[in-house]
Amino acid sequence: MKVRHIRMLLIAAAAVAAWELMVQSGLVSPIILAAPSDIALAAKKDGAVFLRALLISVTEIGMAIVIAWTLGIIFGLIVGSSYLVAAATAPVLSSIFAIPLIILYPLLMAWLGVGPLSKVVFGVLAGFFPIALNTIDGVRAIDRGYFNFARSIGATRLETNVLIVLPLALPAIVSGLRVGTGLVVIGVIVTEMLASLGGLGYVISYHRSLFDTGHVYFGMALALLIAFGVNAALTRLDRRIGHWRLRERGES
Amino acid sequence: MGAALAGHLIFAAVLFGGWEIASRFALVDASFLPPLAHVCAILWGFLHDAAFLGDLELTATEVAVAFLIAAPLAISSGFLLGERLHLAETFNPVVHLVLAVPQSIFLPVFILAFGIGFLEKVLFGITHAYFIILVNSFAAVRSIPPALVAAARVFGATRSQVYTRIYLPAMLPLILTGLRLGMILCIIGVLLAEMYASRRGIGRLIFSWGESYQLPELMAGILIVSILTIAVNEAMRLLELRVGRFYRSAAGS
Amino acid sequence: MPIIEVTGLAKEFRSGRAVVHALRDVTFCVDERRFITLVGPSGCGKSTLLTIMAGLISPTRGEARIEGALITAPMPDRIGMVFQDPTLLPWKTALANVEFPLALRHVDPAARRKRCTELLDLVGLSEFADHYPHELSGGMRQRVAIARGLAQDPRLILMDEPFAALDEQMRTRMGHDLLEIWEKTGKTIFFITHSLTEAIYLSDTVLVMSARPGRIIDTLAIDFPRPRDLDIIGSESFGRIRNRIWHLISERQE
Repeated sequence: MKVRHIRMLLIAAAAVAAWELMVQSGLVSPIILAAPSDIALAAKKDGAVFLRALLISVTEIGMAIVIAWTLGIIFGLIVGSSYLVAAATAPVLSSIFAIPLIILYPLLMAWLGVGPLSKVVFGVLAGFFPIALNTIDGVRAIDRGYFNFARSIGATRLETNVLIVLPLALPAIVSGLRVGTGLVVIGVIVTEMLASLGGLGYVISYHRSLFDTGHVYFGMALALLIAFGVNAALTRLDRRIGHWRLRERGES
Repeated sequence: MGAALAGHLIFAAVLFGGWEIASRFALVDASFLPPLAHVCAILWGFLHDAAFLGDLELTATEVAVAFLIAAPLAISSGFLLGERLHLAETFNPVVHLVLAVPQSIFLPVFILAFGIGFLEKVLFGITHAYFIILVNSFAAVRSIPPALVAAARVFGATRSQVYTRIYLPAMLPLILTGLRLGMILCIIGVLLAEMYASRRGIGRLIFSWGESYQLPELMAGILIVSILTIAVNEAMRLLELRVGRFYRSAAGS
Repeated sequence: MPIIEVTGLAKEFRSGRAVVHALRDVTFCVDERRFITLVGPSGCGKSTLLTIMAGLISPTRGEARIEGALITAPMPDRIGMVFQDPTLLPWKTALANVEFPLALRHVDPAARRKRCTELLDLVGLSEFADHYPHELSGGMRQRVAIARGLAQDPRLILMDEPFAALDEQMRTRMGHDLLEIWEKTGKTIFFITHSLTEAIYLSDTVLVMSARPGRIIDTLAIDFPRPRDLDIIGSESFGRIRNRIWHLISERQE
C-alpha cells in the first residue's frame, strides 16, 4: 500500500514537472495550457475573489439541488402511482429532456435577469427531468404485491407512499439523483459563464476574455472540485442504499 | 403507445392553451409573454428568411460534421477496447474520469486554445459526443453472449461472418442508443459554444435575442430548435426500436 | 360456529369489451379454529375469492361476512394475510418486519417488541430476528411473513399459495410447521393451493372449486386424526381422497 502511494506521488510530481517544462520551454503556448506555476500565481493573487465566487456558485447549486430533488421526487412519486398517468407522462418528460435545455436560458435571462435567480431556476430545470423520470421508473417497478400488503394491514395512502413506496423506489431514485445533480452543477456553472453578475463561471469567463490562462485554469479546477465533490457524495449515498438493493429480488 | 400520444397531446394543449389564455386575458404583460399568434407569425417568417435559414444551416452543419467525425471514431474505439480487454483496463478509468467530468465546463479553455470559429465549435461537439458513444459501443461489444459466438464458430463461421452476422446485429441496439445520446450531447455542445462565443449560428441568434429582450423572436427560435431536436430524437428512437425488435426476432433464429 | 359466511359470491371483470366471469355463485361456511383449504384448476378464481374475502376488492354480487360483519374493506385486526411473495421490506430486519403492522397502529414499542419476538419464536426464527430479508432463505422469509400476518392477532388468516415458490422438501417442512403454529395459536386458516397433497395433509375440510367461472362443486371433510404424521400421505385412504378430488377437478374441465 505505502509503496504504491509513494510511487503514485512520484509519478504525479514528475507529470507536474513535465507540464511546467512544456509551457516554460514554449513547446505549448501559455495561452492554451497554463503552467502549474501560473495557476499557483493566480491562486495567490486573486484567491479571495475566486473564493467569493465559489461561494456564490455553491449557494446557487445548493438551492437548485434542494428544489430539484424535492420537485423531482414528489412529482415522480405522484405520477408513478398510477399506471395510466405514468404511461402518458414519462414519454413527454423524455421528449422534453431531448431538447437542449441551454436554449431556454436566454428566455430565463429575459424574464428573470442575470442574477442568481435565473441560475437557480435553470439548475432546477436541468436536474428535474432525470430525477422525475427515474423516480417514476422506480415506483412502477415495485411489485404490485406490496400495495396489496399495505392495504391488508390497513395502511393509509400517505403511510404507504412514505413508508413503503419511497424506500422501495430509493435505489432508482438515487440513480436519478446522481445524473440530475451532475446536470444541476453543470447547468449553474455554464449559465454563469454565459451571462452573470457573479459566481465561478462568471470569473472564469472574465479571465478568459483577458487571456489570463492561469486564472482560467484555476477557476476550472475549482469547478471540477465542486463537480467531483458532489459526485463523490452521491456515490457514497448510492453505495449505502445499495447494500440491500442487490438482493432485493430474492437472490440469496 | 396510445397513452404516450395522449400525453403529448395533453401537454401541448396545456402549454399552448395556457399560453394563449395568459396573453389573451392579459394575465401576463405582453412584453413578458408575447401572444402565441405573434410568435407563430414570426416563426413562419423565419422559415422564409434567408438569413435565419443560413444560421440554422450553419449550426446544423457544425452538428453534422462533429457527429460524423465523433461517431465512427467512438464506435471503433469502443470496439477496440471491447475486444482487447487489456487496453480497456488501462483506458477505462480515464474514460470514466472524463465522463464524470462535465465537459461543458471546459468551454473557456477550448476557446483559448482554438479560438472562435467553425473548427472550435465542431471540436467541442466532438468531445461531447465521443465519450458517450464510446461507452455505449464498449458496452455493446461486451454484451454479446459468448455462447452465441462459440455456437457460430462450431458451425464453421468465418471471421467476417462472425462479425457481420453475429456481432453487428447484437451490438446494434446499444450502439444506436449511444448514437442518439451522442447526438443530443453534440447538439448541446455546439449550441452552447455558439451562445458563448460565436458570431453566427442559431445559438448565437437566440442568445442575442435574449440579451436584447426581443421576446417574440426569442420564443420563435426556441420553438424551432425544440421541434427540430425532438424530431431528431424521436426519429433515432424509432430506429432503435425497429432494430431492437428485428434483432430480437433474428436472435431467435 | 361459522366464523366465515360466504353467500352467492359472484365477480365479473371488465376487460375492454369482454366480460370475464371469475366467480359465479360461491357459497360456503368456515367454522372457527378450522383449517380449510381451497383447491381448483388454474385460473378458476381462487385468488379472486381470497382477495374478496380480504376486503381488497368488492364482489359483483353476493357477500362475505366475518363474525357476522360484512367484509367491504380490509380488516387488519380481524383478517391477516400471507401472500405467495413474502413482500418483506428489504431494509428492515426480520423483527422490524413483523413489528411493522403494529408500528403503524402506534402500539407501544416495548409491548410490540415483546409480542413480535414471541411470534418469531413461534415460527422458529428467534435467532434470526436481526437478519435482513436478503440474508434469509425463501422458506425463512415466508415464516417471517406468517409471523407478520399474526402480529395483529387476527381471528382469520388468509393464505394465497404461500409455499408455491418453495421446493418440494421445504414445502413439506413448512406445511408441517404451519400445522404446529396453527395448533398453538388456535386461528382459523383459509388456505389456497394447487397441490392436492398439501391440501389434504393440512386441512380439516377441502373445498373443491370448478374451472372458471368458479363455483364450489364439493366439500370434503378430512378425518385423519391430529397431530398428523407425514406418513399418512402414502396411505391408501389418502390416495383415495386425492383421486376423488382429482377426478372432480378434471371432470369439470370441459
